[in-house]
Amino acid sequence: MRLWLYYFKHAFESILGNRLIYFISTGTISISLLLFAAFVLISANFNNWAKSWEKSLSLSVYLENGTDAQEKDEIAKAIERVDGAEIKAFISKEKALKDLAETLGSQVGLLEGLTKNPLPASYEVIFRNRELSREELKNIKKSLEKVKGVDEVQYSEQWLERIEGFIYFSRILGLIVGGLLCLAVLFIVTNTIKLAIYARREEIEICKLVGATDWFVKIPFLLEGAIQGIFGALIALSVLFFSYSMFRVRTIQLFGLPVMDVTFLNAGQYVLVVFLGLTLGLLGSFVAIGRFFKF
Amino acid sequence: MIQLFRVSKYFGVIAALKDATIRIRKGEFVFVTGPSGAGKTTLLRLMFGAEKPTEGQILINGINLGRVGGSRLDFLRRQIGFVFQDFKLLHRRTVLQNVALASEVGGEKWTTTRKKTHQLLRAVGLTAKEHAYPLELSGGEQQRVAIARAMVNDPLILLADEPTGNLDPEITRDIMILFRSINLRGTTVVVATHNKELLRNTDQRVLFLQNGMIHE
Repeated sequence: MRLWLYYFKHAFESILGNRLIYFISTGTISISLLLFAAFVLISANFNNWAKSWEKSLSLSVYLENGTDAQEKDEIAKAIERVDGAEIKAFISKEKALKDLAETLGSQVGLLEGLTKNPLPASYEVIFRNRELSREELKNIKKSLEKVKGVDEVQYSEQWLERIEGFIYFSRILGLIVGGLLCLAVLFIVTNTIKLAIYARREEIEICKLVGATDWFVKIPFLLEGAIQGIFGALIALSVLFFSYSMFRVRTIQLFGLPVMDVTFLNAGQYVLVVFLGLTLGLLGSFVAIGRFFKF
Repeated sequence: MIQLFRVSKYFGVIAALKDATIRIRKGEFVFVTGPSGAGKTTLLRLMFGAEKPTEGQILINGINLGRVGGSRLDFLRRQIGFVFQDFKLLHRRTVLQNVALASEVGGEKWTTTRKKTHQLLRAVGLTAKEHAYPLELSGGEQQRVAIARAMVNDPLILLADEPTGNLDPEITRDIMILFRSINLRGTTVVVATHNKELLRNTDQRVLFLQNGMIHE
């Protein structure tokens, strides 16, 4: 315990003694970790958005022409038996045609030549409080298509694929950007600790001459790296939180419609950024001292 | 306690020590003398494990220095006090912290370290300057700090390289009394010096070094 007090005392003394170098170094680490944390924030929000979008997935169950009321009831019951499924609306053939006419707007004339309504009636189904994989959706589609009176079941597969593709791309991009930022932090810490070792090489030599073990000399440097990493991470998180509070953007809107709720990092993500700072700080010091002492 | 078997040390083609065989018993007080550049410092640094011999073997308290390294060598060094010719003091630490350092690296309790440090600073006459920094002291005072640091761990062996080089005759006498008293408590003391005055009045063993060769 006493030794650890000694190590911390000397680590802090060294930091205070080389204030400018450590200020610049911790500042640069903060900027790198701020970019990383911002990336985590954006990525986490997109993930949440994609998940909520998946949650609000809907199915369209198209009925065969001439389906009677009893069959419609049977289909509705079959839909409600699916876990989490809820019928949002029944769209009759007439309503479907009316909706199409509204969508076409000025080009409604295209429908004038129709002798009979070609559109099928359908049930619009949504899933509440349930995340569905594409496999599950496929199974639901298959089972509903077996019900008598059901012509076809459709869901927005393309959209799902796009979202999944986007999440995959953002993860790859995150790994590349995050990896480069980590390398930058590692480089900064290594060079700062190297400077500190150069400044104190005489002290190291004297400590060794009076019988200090290698670890007795190394531990304060490792602590200096760890302190830089943790401070860098805490400053980065504070700046990010301050910016988040300043802009007060809680909901992103598109054409006046709420598209995405913006939330700040959760506790786990906080710990991740601090842990990353600590690990990079320790690793940077380890690399720097490894060049002066043989392990 | 200290044994050298046919030890030679070369720096390039220059021989600092040639085929030296020495045996220093536990509790002995030995002077090593000779002109400048004769190899006195090299001999002491070899005994301390700060230099490796080019040829031969060195045994300290039965431990072959050629076969120890890492933490065992660090541990051995804590049992050997060394007074360096250039003092090797930490300029950013006070007199008290410099003396305490040798005790701290061994993980000694702070209360014990502090007590011992105060005792030694009193013995070398530096109690009033315990909070001063080395650069605020005279050469003689810095040397006394180095001596106190070498003695703080109650070493089995004390090696001193020109310990009285910067001291006036009165302090030189006090320092020699200090060395003698630590020697009487069982510490083996080896002092390298070219101070003829010290050697004239001594009945201790004297090793004479010239051109890297030892003569008793």
